[in-house]
Amino acid sequence: MRRISVGTTCVALVWQLLLAGLLAGAVLCACWVAPTEATMGHAQRIVYLHVPVAWLGLLAMLVMAVCGASYLCTRRLLWDQWFQAAAESGWLCTSLTLVTGSLWAHEAWGTWWEWDPRLTSAFVMWCIFCGVLLVRSGLDDPHRAARAGAVLGILGALDVPLVVMATRWFRGLHPVAPQMDPVMRWTLLFCGLAFTLFFGWVVHHRRQQIALEQLAMRLQLQTEPE
Amino acid sequence: MLAQFWWIIQKDLMSELRGRRSWPAMLVLGIVVALVFGLQMDLLPQQRQQVLGGLLWLAVFFAGMTAVDRSFAAEHEDGCWQGMKLLPVGPGTLFLAKWLVNTIALLALSAVLIPLFFVLGEQPLWRHAGELAQIAVLACPGLAAVGTLVSALAIGSGRGGSPLVLVVLPLVIPVVLAAAECTRLAVQGEFTDSSGRWLQMLAAFAVIFTTAGTLLFEFAIED
Repeated sequence: MRRISVGTTCVALVWQLLLAGLLAGAVLCACWVAPTEATMGHAQRIVYLHVPVAWLGLLAMLVMAVCGASYLCTRRLLWDQWFQAAAESGWLCTSLTLVTGSLWAHEAWGTWWEWDPRLTSAFVMWCIFCGVLLVRSGLDDPHRAARAGAVLGILGALDVPLVVMATRWFRGLHPVAPQMDPVMRWTLLFCGLAFTLFFGWVVHHRRQQIALEQLAMRLQLQTEPE
Repeated sequence: MLAQFWWIIQKDLMSELRGRRSWPAMLVLGIVVALVFGLQMDLLPQQRQQVLGGLLWLAVFFAGMTAVDRSFAAEHEDGCWQGMKLLPVGPGTLFLAKWLVNTIALLALSAVLIPLFFVLGEQPLWRHAGELAQIAVLACPGLAAVGTLVSALAIGSGRGGSPLVLVVLPLVIPVVLAAAECTRLAVQGEFTDSSGRWLQMLAAFAVIFTTAGTLLFEFAIED
């Protein structure tokens, strides 16, 4: 077992403080620094959460595909732990995308939901996350679960270009690269960076938790009487 | 290699012809769904043109999956699945043979359901026959590719007939949506002007999913 030194703990603490500072800065910028939009008012600030979580949902799907392919090539469960952590975090991000998008749509379009190409494709991606997690949860053998997840994750990632290009290929209500005030744009980029680092931190810690769960299960099996 | 490929296709088609294991159930389910939708289609002609494509392709998907889901069930139930895996052919060839059989099944289903939906929806079928054939030929391979791979995964995971099939729908939604939109354009007489991008999308998904299936099949059928 790896021994955790004082130095490692200090580095982790510094990283966590830095991350907390970045997140607090992102919230401050989104709520107070960015100017209020002329037509939508404060409701437009949802964008500073909506766009980063939407991007992270797509990133999670790509991470799943890479980890799935790596598992299929190496058969190391370490890759599957990353896969599961990314899948769960991606599901959360896509759920947040749908919720924040719905709130924004209510203010901008006067409706909670519209079968717009981008909204539909985001919903499809949410269904894929649900499907992958459901299938994995039904399989007891870790290697079978890893294999099923990897195959479905790679297939799911093939839908990502459709989600990304939905607003460019098909006409819909969802805005495509709208003109923004420079302060708004920088705030959005800063929020994107802060949330991406936070996502990486969440995935990393969830991966460690999964590894510990699997270790505990193995130890339990070893110590149980025949 | 090619001989074994044709042999697997011939075996599956012959076995279906003699045993009638899944195609009759698929066709009956499709017809029942079409009739139920037909009963509910008490709409104005323009509204009917709007919804016909979506209902048609959902019926093809749900009925078709009953046959695609059982792609490997016969071998599994009759205890010759291990024998199939020992055939001197690559897993990709086995996948392509099963995919072709499933594509034929879905095309047969479309050949029954498209006229039925058009008759029930009171739309002229012959005017759009060529366009509809084009849509079916591009949509069915994509549906069959994902269905075949997931069906193999269900058998490989030891969970035949499991809820794995539920994940097929979100994966193939782009194909179902594109086919439905193409059908709507055909019914409304706008096929030639506006369907190009949707047809390209159907063709792209057919190629992408079939290639992915051929590459991933080896991992899906592992014990």
